[in-house]
Amino acid sequence: MSRILVAEDDPHILRLISMWLTRHGHEVIEARNGLVARELISTQPVDVLVSDVNMPGMDGLNLVETVYGTGQVRHGVIVLTNRWDHGEIGERLADWGVQVIAKPFSPSRLSELIESMTAGTRRAGRPAHSAGTPDQQSTSQEAGAP
Amino acid sequence: MSSDIPSTPHDSLLRDLLSGLSLTGPEPTRSVGLLASPHHAPQPPAHCLQACLDGDPNAIGRLGCQLLAAAAAGNLDPQTPMPTRCPKGFQVAARHALIGNSPMVVFTVQGKNAAGSESVDFDRPEMDPARLLAHLDAASNLVQRIGQLLEENAGFANEVLQNYEQLNLIFDLTQQITQFTHVAGIERLLAQRVARLLSAETVYVVSLDGRCRVYPARKTEGAGAQPVKPASAIGQFGDAPAEDLARAGSGAALSDEMRSAVESVRRTRRVLVAMPDGRHLIAGPLMRLDEKVDVVLAVRHPDRGVFNAGDMMLLESVLSFGGQIISNTELHDRMRRMSLEVTRALVAAIDKKDHYTSGHSERAGFLTALTAVHLGVRPPQLQAMEWAGLLHDVGKIGIPEEILCKPGKLTPEEFELIKQHPRMGYEILQPIKSLGVILDGVLYHHEYPDGSGYPEGLVGEQIPLVARIIHVVDSFDALTTSRSYREAFSIEEAIQIIRREEGTHIDAEVAEAFIEAFDVYRRDHPHDFALRFAHLVEREMADAHV
Repeated sequence: MSRILVAEDDPHILRLISMWLTRHGHEVIEARNGLVARELISTQPVDVLVSDVNMPGMDGLNLVETVYGTGQVRHGVIVLTNRWDHGEIGERLADWGVQVIAKPFSPSRLSELIESMTAGTRRAGRPAHSAGTPDQQSTSQEAGAP
Repeated sequence: MSSDIPSTPHDSLLRDLLSGLSLTGPEPTRSVGLLASPHHAPQPPAHCLQACLDGDPNAIGRLGCQLLAAAAAGNLDPQTPMPTRCPKGFQVAARHALIGNSPMVVFTVQGKNAAGSESVDFDRPEMDPARLLAHLDAASNLVQRIGQLLEENAGFANEVLQNYEQLNLIFDLTQQITQFTHVAGIERLLAQRVARLLSAETVYVVSLDGRCRVYPARKTEGAGAQPVKPASAIGQFGDAPAEDLARAGSGAALSDEMRSAVESVRRTRRVLVAMPDGRHLIAGPLMRLDEKVDVVLAVRHPDRGVFNAGDMMLLESVLSFGGQIISNTELHDRMRRMSLEVTRALVAAIDKKDHYTSGHSERAGFLTALTAVHLGVRPPQLQAMEWAGLLHDVGKIGIPEEILCKPGKLTPEEFELIKQHPRMGYEILQPIKSLGVILDGVLYHHEYPDGSGYPEGLVGEQIPLVARIIHVVDSFDALTTSRSYREAFSIEEAIQIIRREEGTHIDAEVAEAFIEAFDVYRRDHPHDFALRFAHLVEREMADAHV
């Protein structure tokens, strides 16, 4: 079981992700925007951050930048987005080991990613880096500093 | 939302409300009961239970007053002013109320408190237990409705999650399927995706000849209504299904019901669902080339629920898509095979013209490819070079036979004619647009590095690699076969002659690559060598006897 913070402004999607991850035995903390998410994370660290990109207040990319390297997200960050430039976002965040999944996301892929991120033992504070496409991903490595 | 089912959360809520509305203390001063409910046993007020009913709620009518009996029967006399006083001296009020959508009678009994005064004024509406109860009931209905909505919401969410999963599997399938160039790989991918899409345990593919390939999905824990259990696409399936199980048999793995489903799908070409002995089965057609129908069967664990119309549509669309891709791949294979066969036939026709060169083109094609590989050429360029080797002499078709097969020395005019064959070959093949490298090989395979070759007198690197390779292997094969004017040279003699010409007539780098590659081939594949180069083996054996 991992502590997962889900930042997502669309309540339906938030509920969907939250339900799915809870069913997989995770403890889910819900945040409706980036500011709330940052606040919650700074009060209590989480294992994995799952974040949308477009959100009011603080968007997902800012959120990732803010928490990266603080040790408050222990194992990794997954960004879910339906933006057309999700490929570029993925490339931009690849150095930080952030995984970008396009919406509509595959639920099983999301939980697989979380499992692979939290399976290995890693130093705290560095998002995990998973190589390869999700279907092939099984190896995770430590990401270097940006 | 009715109270048909006894002892729902709603019932316990009502009971709590009743006791909450009762003002209890050292001496209960008020108690509330529910009577005349179509769905519940009567719940008389505590006062009545104690004072009149001997503690038995079912004693109404036998014990207790007329008022209580009338209320329990739902027959309230509109003439009776409420509140009124019962024979025991309590103030009572009976009101009709709609609770949980059911008509009931709320029966309230009020005694004196310790101070001797009536504690509650029934005429103040907020103190009327019937009204309060109805309000609270409405609230409880809301709570119940919210619970239902949450449940429905979870149901929808489940369905959305499942749809997301299926959508992603289909995206993934369409993306991955294009990476396969062989039918077996496509079939395996399809079977694996069908298993995941339909939450099936096993997928069978049955061909027309009755052969059955089995693709088992890995067992997943925690079945039930849960959507597909996460697992990596690669890890989820056994690794070697096709070959192993094809051996397992001509439909041996199939039950009679499955076989009859296969027959039915083959006849109707429609997806069908069946439930033989509690197992859930879905089957659909996979159309292959020439109207051949393979049948894909998927078996699902009973806990996963029956296959529905959505599953049928899903299977139908995935199979028709997959069938298209498989048919196209098969067609592509067939075309490629056919063009190769046609080319071979053409090449054999050229070789027939000159009986000395029987099998020459076939060997030249082979040796060109052998050398090209050694030089690091990769497909598809490699394929083209092999074809160039095969076709390099196609122009000889335009040279009169008496010149080609002339015993003895050619006149200068005759030799000029022979020298036309690369150009003729080029012209024959040129209309075929896709030949590219092949044309280079055909046109320039008699060019020499020192520029003394023909038809254009190209020098060194100007000569395309394919042509330099063909020139080397062409020379080697010519030297090692007998001619009308001389006996064949041995392999070693031929190599010596080639080496002597390096730099002038022969490209040195290519020649050395050929010599090495040929050496390795001869050593590592003696059987293949004996088949392709029978004349060389015979020659070596003859030499050994001398």
